[in-house]
Amino acid sequence: MDIKIFTKGLYKDNPIFVQLLGMCPTLAVTTSAINGLGMGLATTAVLASSNVVISMLRKVIPDKVRIPAFIVVIATFVTIIGMVLEGYFVDLYNALGLFIPLIVVNCIILARAETFAFKNGIFSSFLDGLGMGLGFTIALLILGSVRELLGAGSIFGISLLGAAYKPALIMILPPGAFLALGILLAINNVIKQKSAA
Amino acid sequence: MKEIAKLGVILLIIGSVAAALLAMTYELTIDQILQQRLIKDQTARMEVFPEAETFEAAPEEVLNEIKSINPAIADVYQAMAAGEVKGYVIKTRPGGFGGSIDVVTGFNLEGEITGLRVGTHEETPGLGANITLPDFYTQFEGLDLNKKVGVNKVSPGDNEIQAIAGATISSQAVTDGVNYISDVLTVLEK
Repeated sequence: MDIKIFTKGLYKDNPIFVQLLGMCPTLAVTTSAINGLGMGLATTAVLASSNVVISMLRKVIPDKVRIPAFIVVIATFVTIIGMVLEGYFVDLYNALGLFIPLIVVNCIILARAETFAFKNGIFSSFLDGLGMGLGFTIALLILGSVRELLGAGSIFGISLLGAAYKPALIMILPPGAFLALGILLAINNVIKQKSAA
Repeated sequence: MKEIAKLGVILLIIGSVAAALLAMTYELTIDQILQQRLIKDQTARMEVFPEAETFEAAPEEVLNEIKSINPAIADVYQAMAAGEVKGYVIKTRPGGFGGSIDVVTGFNLEGEITGLRVGTHEETPGLGANITLPDFYTQFEGLDLNKKVGVNKVSPGDNEIQAIAGATISSQAVTDGVNYISDVLTVLEK
């Protein structure tokens, strides 16, 4: 039971490839593999913790005003993490700091609060957040790698395709985000249909 | 009516708790954050003017005069070696794509740029944010501040840099920050 709560986010209910949530940061930051990984991990941390907080508060927050309450809780949480990182974990902040304000508006976090954490216990909510976050990270990492490989000829800054390859710059520009995501979604659908048949 | 009041009060409580937590965290971290920014600034100054032994803030009247010419100039440091002024390190705040960008530029007495770094900024990750990468900022080394530095998208010529593909505004902004210095060179020469 518990293990499924964790694993469903990784593939079956993957936030990007299946639920198509959080498209804004997904498309914007996946210009390279390292950016995708950074954004993914920062989101995972916030998602798991905000799920726990929302789950703890689920009996206190009235149903009718849950959305504004979620937003206040999440925004507060993200801002606190940002300040603590900038003050005390400078290296981490230098790597992830850029992504932190983007997390506030990430709808995956609101979606998990609404559909899961508000109705489930603290531990399950933590697992759900962790699974969804890692699923998000995997998807961003794949998307970032594909775009960096085609758009710059490298992955994680390591040149793979050599000097002879002329990078398709469009892949790291905004249109490339849509192209890469569309193709990845199509591939995923084909795999799903094949395995269902 | 009663229910609305109740919901309002609950939201008020949640908001107040959030505000209190934020204020507390701010108080607890602000000193540390400011100190980290100071360290960052000091490191940036060393990087853009490696020959200097120490850095001294420029006299207040010089800074005030410079700021009256261009308020986007944030601070001015004299790069000292062997007791003499060897050059300057100036931080400017041009407006970029996402907000203002801190540009730290070092240059010697001839007006030649010795180095440039980009500090705090809010440019788009993966595009504009690439102004913080060496491929971009090292282009400024050796350029002449006595003339305006230009931006070229394709093949940069004399005293020009090549803009980052897809991030012309951010590239232009950093260059603007450098060009602000040209406007105040005469003040420094006095």
